[in-house]
Amino acid sequence: METLVALADPTRRRIVELLARGERPVGAIADRFEISAPAISQHLKVLREARLVRVRAEAQSRIYELDPAGFADLDDWLRGIRQFWTTRLVALDRELNRTEPTRKPKKKR
Amino acid sequence: MSQELPIIVRVEHKFRASPERVFDAWLDPAMIGRFMFGPALRDEEILRIAVDARVGGEFSFFVRRQGQEIDHVGAYLEIDRPRRLVFTWSTADSLPDTSRVTIDIVPAKSTSTGTTLTLVHEISQQWADYADRVEAGWTKMIGALADNVDKSADSTG
Repeated sequence: METLVALADPTRRRIVELLARGERPVGAIADRFEISAPAISQHLKVLREARLVRVRAEAQSRIYELDPAGFADLDDWLRGIRQFWTTRLVALDRELNRTEPTRKPKKKR
Repeated sequence: MSQELPIIVRVEHKFRASPERVFDAWLDPAMIGRFMFGPALRDEEILRIAVDARVGGEFSFFVRRQGQEIDHVGAYLEIDRPRRLVFTWSTADSLPDTSRVTIDIVPAKSTSTGTTLTLVHEISQQWADYADRVEAGWTKMIGALADNVDKSADSTG
């Protein structure tokens, strides 16, 4: 799950949070962090490869924004896990009702 | 575990059964073979269900699915019958503490009988670090979920 690996890093999560408030030129992103510009570039590369951010060139600067594709991947993945457990809870409910369908419920404690 | 656990999946379900029966099912190998794994859920064969139901004890749910053998393993972190069950959860080859499932069971508020279960699955950063190793197992498991969607939709309500 490439998206998760990308988000495992706290700096990269902060970049995503920053871009969630709006697109920004790469310089404005770097300004917000006390790490080197090359390090920021590396983080942005990982985020791009995970399709969590995308970049476009505008005049002399590169503008970063969130990329819905990676978030859709993450959403699908989470939906899969949710579905896994929901399916099992429904099966458990069915099984409990099947194995003891008619017993009178206990008195309220 | 000082790192935050950023990824959380939460599901809730209401049962007619008592909290005790709902709780006990999670530690009963026979029940696990009927609601967690096996032919009742999808086309898979249960090879072994082993449960050491004490704090620190481990479990193994070992199945064969489409010719592939998959072991789901973990350890019990908290056993507080009938209120709370916490265990780690992963497929074999990943670290045992890579994700954590917390099940809280309370008597239903609205009626005099019945039970509300809340399951929270936390996927930790450690999990993400080892994602490459476990991805195959999860992808397989989640990929097969599509088969279950229709089934569960049919039986809801």
